[in-house]
Amino acid sequence: MARPAVTLAPAAAAAEAARPGEGYWQIAWRRLRRHRLAMGGLAVIALLVLAAVFAPWIAPYRFEQIDLTNRFAPPFSGRHWLGTDDLGHDVFTRLLYAGRVSLVVGFAAALSAVALGTLVGVVAGYYGGLLDNVLMRLTDIVLTLPVFGVLLLLGRYFGGGILPIVAIIGLFGWTVAARLVRGEILRLKTQDFAEAARALGASETRIIFRHLLPNALAPIIVAATLDVGGAILTEAALSYFGVGIQPPIPSWGNMLQNAQSYLWTAPWLAFWPGMMIFLTVLCFNFFGDGLRDALDPRLKI
Amino acid sequence: MQRYVLRRILQMIPIALGISVLLFTLLTLAPGDPVDLLIASDPRVKPEDVARLKRLYGLDQPIHVRYLKWLGRTLQGDLGFSRTYKEPVTNLLRDRIANSLWLTVTAFVLAVVVAVPVGIYSALHQYSVLDYLATTFTFFGVSIPVFWFGIMAIYLFAVWHPWTALPGLGWLVLPPGGISTPGVPPGLPFVLDRLRYMILPSVVLALLSMATYTRYTRSSMLEVIRQDYVRTARAKGLAERVVINRHALRNALIPLVTIMALSIANLFAGAPITETVFAWPGVGRLLVESVLNGDYVAAQAVLMFLAVLVLVFNLLADVAYAALDPRIRYD
Repeated sequence: MARPAVTLAPAAAAAEAARPGEGYWQIAWRRLRRHRLAMGGLAVIALLVLAAVFAPWIAPYRFEQIDLTNRFAPPFSGRHWLGTDDLGHDVFTRLLYAGRVSLVVGFAAALSAVALGTLVGVVAGYYGGLLDNVLMRLTDIVLTLPVFGVLLLLGRYFGGGILPIVAIIGLFGWTVAARLVRGEILRLKTQDFAEAARALGASETRIIFRHLLPNALAPIIVAATLDVGGAILTEAALSYFGVGIQPPIPSWGNMLQNAQSYLWTAPWLAFWPGMMIFLTVLCFNFFGDGLRDALDPRLKI
Repeated sequence: MQRYVLRRILQMIPIALGISVLLFTLLTLAPGDPVDLLIASDPRVKPEDVARLKRLYGLDQPIHVRYLKWLGRTLQGDLGFSRTYKEPVTNLLRDRIANSLWLTVTAFVLAVVVAVPVGIYSALHQYSVLDYLATTFTFFGVSIPVFWFGIMAIYLFAVWHPWTALPGLGWLVLPPGGISTPGVPPGLPFVLDRLRYMILPSVVLALLSMATYTRYTRSSMLEVIRQDYVRTARAKGLAERVVINRHALRNALIPLVTIMALSIANLFAGAPITETVFAWPGVGRLLVESVLNGDYVAAQAVLMFLAVLVLVFNLLADVAYAALDPRIRYD
């Protein structure tokens, strides 16, 4: 009776190992597909992106359409199935359009933060010396800053539109990626393949872009995925305080801005946008976690 | 050890100075100094008044001179005078820190008391139902927008609470915000009243730390129970309780102490959202109000206070780590 159990384990291990002709990304994809929460998260993210892209076709109203005779209509009543807000905007319509803004801000801010962090990490890790020292002290300083307060300040002066919000979130969100990439580059640049490339006379840019960065891609991708959720949360918090995305452009955060004062009369105004933020961030975290397990389970992010 | 601590303190100084330069520059270059705001609000102000006022406040001097003057005053303990609160910032900050401590300490204790046992149980019973529940909870905790969680808590405990009609739950009707009921006599009634106001904000503030600590406790414990010395302890025939408590847990807690020390400062810095949602007059809310109202004297003081707090707790974390783990050498 014990025999099948003993033979089962190596069989399972063999399925885990690389099949002939299979590359790193194929193995990772196969592992990712088995991660149920990650795939669930990915499916929901895909749905949210589709809903955001096709918002004008799905939405029953225009997002700036005001219906003053129909303010504070409760959900599931009449023609507004998620209700209306204090100006009579259709909440469902605004959620769809707000999703566009929140997702774009999330992706763009995470991308710029990770790009900036990668740049800092590569320069510090590859060139080392004084440059490394200066960049790492700068990283220490930014990590010690009360970032939320600084973002509030910058949001107050430059906020309002999508681009400035993306810029300020990216500008203060690069430190984690910078440390990660620096560590990877330090580890990779002394390895034989990098030495070999150098011995063959490859240029610095070729060594960095062709040999080092592709091998440091796994942590960069995982950090970027987890950063999207973080950036969406930051944007929402800034918009909640009125220094993020300004109405009439809807974002999930600014839909919550006045919701607290209507909690007694129109609680649904507070419920839906927050639920959307929660769901989206949760899915990015599930996906990022699965991605880390699939790409490199030893990563500590 | 003493030399190590001393060296770390010396290393903190340039970072603190760097932060102060960065913050001072940001706040000074931000448009709208107090005099500009005065001009905007009062059309009778003449250009010569502007010049006189700018000279009075020292706003006519170049930025590096103003920075050095600010630094000199700050080092002597003078944080300036808040324009919007009409109070010296030192007094303001002192009162706000006292209020924040109520929340921060409660939230921290709450987080540790829940997270450490749950994390240990999760690790010892990996892939059990409770482990899955705990892991899911940590994902929820780091993904939920704090302000929304706060608003929902207010809704369920202060606005719409038919469930409190159940016998024994009547006391769970809680205030939607604020810090205490006016006119409550001092002593025990005051403390009990304060506790009622603290329940919602401290739970909301604790959630993120709770999730983070649970995650770290679980992974740290998982790592330790695979070590050879734990296997040795088991092989010696020690009781499982002794193996876990004396050999595994004590080692698993070392990295956890570091994480916790680091996050106390973050609890303080992370409180702005919670304190604003619950109208709790703490440091976090002072930060939000002073930044949004353009009260840069107060904002600079609060931002600098939070940064120094992070530095100090970073130091404490390193010292605690070195003190707890004899393998770590400080030279």
